[in-house]
Amino acid sequence: MFSIRPGKVTHSLRTTLLWWLLPSAALFMGVAWLIHGMLLEQMSRDFVHERLHQEAEFLERQIRQTYPDFDAALLADSYFDEVSHHTFALRIGDRVAFSHPSRQDEFQPWLQNTRTSFLTIEEGQVGASFLAFRKAFEMAGEPIVIIVAEDYSLLANSQQELHLWTAVVSAALLLFLVLLILLAVHTALSPVKQLQRELGDLRAGARDRLSLDVPGEFEGLISELNRLLDTLDTRLERSRQGMANLSHSIKTPIAALVKILADRNTPVEGSLRDQMVSRLAGLDSQLEAEMHRSSFAGPQAGKTAAPEAQVREIVWMLGRLYENKQFHLETDLDQPRWPVEEHDFGELIGNVVDNAGKWAKSDVLVRLTQNQNDLVIEVEDDGPGVEPSARAALGSRGLRLDEQTEGHGLGLAIVRDIVESYNGHLLFSESRLGGLLVRISLPKA
Amino acid sequence: MRLLLVEDDEMLALSLIRFLRSAGFAVDHVGSAQNARAMGLQEDYRAAVLDIGLPDGSGLEVLETWRQARSEVPVLLLTARGGWQDKVNGLKAGADDYLAKPFHAEELVARIQALIRRSEGRVHKVLQASGFELDEERKRVKTPEGAWHGLTGTEFRLLRCLMARPGRIFSKEELLEQLYNLDADPSHNVIEAYIRRLRRLIGRDSIKTLRGQGYVFDTTR
Repeated sequence: MFSIRPGKVTHSLRTTLLWWLLPSAALFMGVAWLIHGMLLEQMSRDFVHERLHQEAEFLERQIRQTYPDFDAALLADSYFDEVSHHTFALRIGDRVAFSHPSRQDEFQPWLQNTRTSFLTIEEGQVGASFLAFRKAFEMAGEPIVIIVAEDYSLLANSQQELHLWTAVVSAALLLFLVLLILLAVHTALSPVKQLQRELGDLRAGARDRLSLDVPGEFEGLISELNRLLDTLDTRLERSRQGMANLSHSIKTPIAALVKILADRNTPVEGSLRDQMVSRLAGLDSQLEAEMHRSSFAGPQAGKTAAPEAQVREIVWMLGRLYENKQFHLETDLDQPRWPVEEHDFGELIGNVVDNAGKWAKSDVLVRLTQNQNDLVIEVEDDGPGVEPSARAALGSRGLRLDEQTEGHGLGLAIVRDIVESYNGHLLFSESRLGGLLVRISLPKA
Repeated sequence: MRLLLVEDDEMLALSLIRFLRSAGFAVDHVGSAQNARAMGLQEDYRAAVLDIGLPDGSGLEVLETWRQARSEVPVLLLTARGGWQDKVNGLKAGADDYLAKPFHAEELVARIQALIRRSEGRVHKVLQASGFELDEERKRVKTPEGAWHGLTGTEFRLLRCLMARPGRIFSKEELLEQLYNLDADPSHNVIEAYIRRLRRLIGRDSIKTLRGQGYVFDTTR
């Protein structure tokens, strides 16, 4: 059932199935065979009983016709010679007669009892065993007892032979069944082999998706795997696209700058110098934006964040950076981990809380809650807030409400990107504290 | 004012040194983690500018070495990586501020001056009670197991109030005075919520409730 490899216990589906199926098949066969034996026994006994019954009645009729005379030759009739394995004994009052005098001693005692019933008579010397029927009746006050017996051992022998043959046939059937089970297990597990082959092909680039031509039980697994491949493709495509955009947009300014610097005849001063600086600053911000965009993992199976711990760290850190502002944290969560990739979650919280910290007069309030379908992050500050008409544009690329603060233009745009990639919602409204309230809701699953 | 600059990029270092000197700092420059460790512990600087990505190690490890040696020099981290987790890790390692490259030299100078101002007259105070340490400067608490936890302003003030006098019972009213007024009228539930959170952070038995009287920081652990 288990094969031990160095440091690893592997567990095979095939052996498990066989381990359960084979013994139960064998047990089933064995029981069937035993029942067959019992039924066979029962049937042949019934058959013999019936015959003995008939013969006794036949004798009784004979006796009733000839009574009170009794012709002992009746028992020595040729009929009884033919069926030599049948034995007859008769008592009329004090007279007794036997078809086989040699068996007299065994049969004598049984004639004394006058109860009609089936008997089993063992003959000690020969080792034969007789099934017998004793019929008792009276005529003119005289008790009459007839015993008709049949040697059962012959029948038992042939019956045993039959039973043995049945055993042989059963064993053959069992073997056949085992082969069938092996075949069934092999067939059932063949999709796994196919999957393995296809994954190999996939890696080798011979195919780009797994085929759905599998038993229903495997369909879910295969479509999950295909979805995973879709995610990987999307991500690869996105990063390629990003790289292409980036290289396209930075090559030109780099070429221009190199050209100017390499040309010893052009003095680098005045407005040209300023131009070069702003060109380089532009390069950097492009690089930064692309870096952020390509570093998002987006929703994916198996990546979760522990929101409370992460938010606590970020809130603590911003509390250290904005010394004269208070950051408050309220959490009410019953789901300790959220299906958001950790880095994405960090960027999300960091940017939105940092933004609040930048604008707050004295207090920033961060709240993590969850409802039926969503995980909710609310961040509010007591700063000047944002005009309702300008809220829709918050976080749109290129818009900077905080021109005066250096290097933070990207914050809310990144937040918007991440929320969108998780199919969440981003809502700006007015806080009770007077500033901006940012409400982010992310679907739980 | 003596300043230590740890930066491996020669070109950047040269221009920074020029700029910092013109801003009135006496700058020592090193380009490796090994030298930075030694210099930071030998000399007495008013501030340090520390690049995270050094050729022979991480600036964060240098910083941790300094902090373990009880050096309280204000440190500003420089990094090319602007992720939030990087910032958190930097401050957890003991940095005081953080600047992502590229930056304007003017901003660097302004930040350094702010750090120095903040550190002047600062007494690094650590409250200790029954195995807990409260770092008042960094607003964080160390449990007897040795793990540091950052605290928000309110949590810090509540815990400081309780830890300053372990064994004394504080009523909810007394603790309410520690809260900044976010709500129009802060209720007792707010205190309960904060106590619950502190307990989750530093252990159930650290703060005891005395029914009808208040809370006490337990010293019988």
